[in-house]
Amino acid sequence: MTAPLLTGTGITKDYGATPALRGVDLSVAEGEIVAVTGPSGCGKSTLLHCLAGILRADHGSVVFRDQNIGMWSEAARSRLRRSEFGVLFQFGQMVPELTAAENVALPLLLAGSGRREAREAALAWLDRFGVADVADQMPGAMSGGQQQRCAVARAMVTRPRVLFADEPTGALDQLNGEQVMQAIVRAVREEGTAVVLVTHEAPVAAYADREIVLRDGAVDPTGLGVGAP
Amino acid sequence: MSTAHVLLGLLAGGPRHGYDLKRAHDERLPQAKPLAYGQVYSTLGRLERDGFVEQSGQEQEGGPERTAYTLTDSGRERLAQWLTEIEPPAPYVTSTLFAKVVVALLAADADRARDYLAAQRSAHMTRLRELTAVKSAPGATVGDVVAADYAIGHLDADLRWLQTTLARVADLQKEVTA
Amino acid sequence: MRAATLIRLSTAGNRTDTLRTVLTAISAALATTAMLAAATVAAIRGGEPVDQPDGSNWLAPGAEHYTSPLLREPGLRLGVIFGLLLLTLPVLALAGQCIRLGAPARDRRLAAIRLAGATPGQAVLIAVAETIAASILGSAAGFGLYLAVRQALHAPGPDGRLRLPTDMFPTPMSLAVAVVAVPVLSGLIGLLLMRGVAVTPLGVVRRQRRHGPRPWPGLAIAVGIVLFNVPVWLSERMVLSSYVFGALMLLGTVLVMIGVVVGTGWISYTAGRLLHRFGRGPVTLLAGRRMMADPWNGSRTLGALLGAAVIGGAAMGYHALFVSQGRAEDQFGVLIGMPADPEHAAFYVNSARLVLVAVGVGVAVSAAGMLVALAESVVARRRTNAALTAAGTPGRALAGTLLWQTLAPLVPALGLAVVSGLVLVRSIYHEVTVGGGTTETCTDPAADLETCARTVVTDPVVTLPVPVPWEQLALLTGGTILAMTVVAGIGMLVLRSSTDLEEIRAA
Repeated sequence: MTAPLLTGTGITKDYGATPALRGVDLSVAEGEIVAVTGPSGCGKSTLLHCLAGILRADHGSVVFRDQNIGMWSEAARSRLRRSEFGVLFQFGQMVPELTAAENVALPLLLAGSGRREAREAALAWLDRFGVADVADQMPGAMSGGQQQRCAVARAMVTRPRVLFADEPTGALDQLNGEQVMQAIVRAVREEGTAVVLVTHEAPVAAYADREIVLRDGAVDPTGLGVGAP
Repeated sequence: MSTAHVLLGLLAGGPRHGYDLKRAHDERLPQAKPLAYGQVYSTLGRLERDGFVEQSGQEQEGGPERTAYTLTDSGRERLAQWLTEIEPPAPYVTSTLFAKVVVALLAADADRARDYLAAQRSAHMTRLRELTAVKSAPGATVGDVVAADYAIGHLDADLRWLQTTLARVADLQKEVTA
Repeated sequence: MRAATLIRLSTAGNRTDTLRTVLTAISAALATTAMLAAATVAAIRGGEPVDQPDGSNWLAPGAEHYTSPLLREPGLRLGVIFGLLLLTLPVLALAGQCIRLGAPARDRRLAAIRLAGATPGQAVLIAVAETIAASILGSAAGFGLYLAVRQALHAPGPDGRLRLPTDMFPTPMSLAVAVVAVPVLSGLIGLLLMRGVAVTPLGVVRRQRRHGPRPWPGLAIAVGIVLFNVPVWLSERMVLSSYVFGALMLLGTVLVMIGVVVGTGWISYTAGRLLHRFGRGPVTLLAGRRMMADPWNGSRTLGALLGAAVIGGAAMGYHALFVSQGRAEDQFGVLIGMPADPEHAAFYVNSARLVLVAVGVGVAVSAAGMLVALAESVVARRRTNAALTAAGTPGRALAGTLLWQTLAPLVPALGLAVVSGLVLVRSIYHEVTVGGGTTETCTDPAADLETCARTVVTDPVVTLPVPVPWEQLALLTGGTILAMTVVAGIGMLVLRSSTDLEEIRAA
């Protein structure tokens, strides 16, 4: 087995007095899709945020390519998220005032690309996800499925090494959710991108190579995610 | 599932012989249990007896002699009738999964039921991943995807049930052993 | 819908709604107070020259006990009334613009009311009723404030003279107008602002226009300036009642203010388009697109500020005029060997300065309104901003976007406002002339005026250009931009707290 790309060890995170994560270990290899599942409030989103460097864990370490990113400054982690990570949420991540193409081009522009090359790359990615026809539309004029596919394009446009997807199909109906998942899986397989996929739906988790079940902020070895009452 | 009606449907496109019917069945209904030859011929026999199909000729291409069957008018009528009939939406719960949980509680204890549920969930997830891989494979046909989706939907329903039942095992035990 | 229902529905709200109501009430109170002050000055009689049968004239009694010539002289009193009414305009604009404040929460409530069966008209009525109710409260408070201030400032000097007309009371008619005008006007402005808004049962949407805003409001500015000039032009040719004179000028000023405020939509849109086309980085892209997406945001949030800036520009014009006038009189005095009264010139300059101070207060008040509006727009975008932050967008880029979005429409619109105000005055007076008259004097000092040998003395003429008050222009514009930058800075603090990831999770 190859060395893990991203490793979280003993991740602990509290929200005030409420413990959200209680020492979670998780590692992701290059190109591997790992699903994190569990009931609502089990801490799966928090785990994703800690692994992606959006939140800083209270204890434990997050190591990406032999570097403990938990120790990095917010600015350094922002740069990392922009270049090496992609993030995808349930909905509402598109800037409503920008066209689809501009939304997708945004991460490249933030990284310093020129307008033209950013737009070309954005169009290519929109085409890859079958939404090239809405490139110059505002998100408000698109369907939920189209918006989410544009969001996947935006997350992938920087060719990240890890894609963090938090309930990426949560706001979609089954068929649209399917199409988005298919698009994600096809793209990450082609690009060799690893994925941390947070979901509470078994059919979505089934796209992953491996599944981690959280229960009350800890990994549940039984995989049931439900405790004895 | 009614194999007889599927065969009637396959014959609606023109005469076919038994081997052909079996192949068409397995191709059109992927992920279904493959049809045995014996079952094809016994079903055809019954359909012929009831006047829904009739033999339309013999054919021999170097191999064994094959009988082609064709749909009769009353067979066509029967098929149309079946297609409009509504299937009763599962009036009885006859799942082995459910029975096992209840029996585990009766014969053993809550832990036993939980262990079973955990193992079953793991098996379901594995199968779910296999089916997802089948439909995500580059060469998957629409038939493959639709068939896999059907199975995935049912497995997902089971998984949801497994999950919620687990939370209710203790209460169920009280009720069952009361 | 019964009145009680209307009141209940229009006052149901949360913290932001309370804030909106309070801001509306405060601005209504300020406007009412200013209008009552104007009405008080208008109630003063006396000081007019009255022709006597013997050919001499003396001043009508009634105003001689005021220390300030502003109150003693009827011509100046009219100026004071005009100035006070002008000051109420930006404050009124603020009261009206408050209706769009705290909008997200109220919009949800209005939508829910629609869902419960209210007609679109009823929903708008509820929104407007809230503004009117707040304005009535504010009006009442303003009246109280006026009475209190009147009482507190009533301090006759040892000689019984008064600095302020605290002994006068507005006529019943003008009192009623002053108290009722504010709720009515703010209601009308609110209705106007709600026109572009459709309250549907599923939410409140701004009607999309196919085209971006057009520069037609520029016409209103031009017409306003012309209208401002008309009374001066007319009064040189015919006898004009001073009230018609004042009303025409006021109307001209109002037109210019409306033109500037509405024109800000076009400015914002155009600035956005230019930023979008010529900007390089993501910051200008975002800011430009946001300005294009909602160009009227500037008109809504900057209305009061721009109104104050127009008045400020006009006040600066008058200030420069009075300074030049004073200098010309000084020079004239030197020429004819009579030193001019230094206090006389200083008096006018001080009056204009007073208006500038009031404009400063107006800018501060509207900056407060602007801050609330800005904070609100940040909160409305919190989800997108949080998602962008999660995707690695540096806070710097989001803050930069906010700054661009605030300043890019503000700077040109503010320039337009101040220059329009200044042009109002300069279109009439771009130079001052003192002297040039002729006097008949007796060459024989002892003789009687009727019989003496006379000579005609022609006074020298002093003509001075009125300089463009660059310094003050820069001060007002710079000060306002600085104030708005501070406002944007505070907005950035709100931004920081609203990029919290909790925003993404709350579905």
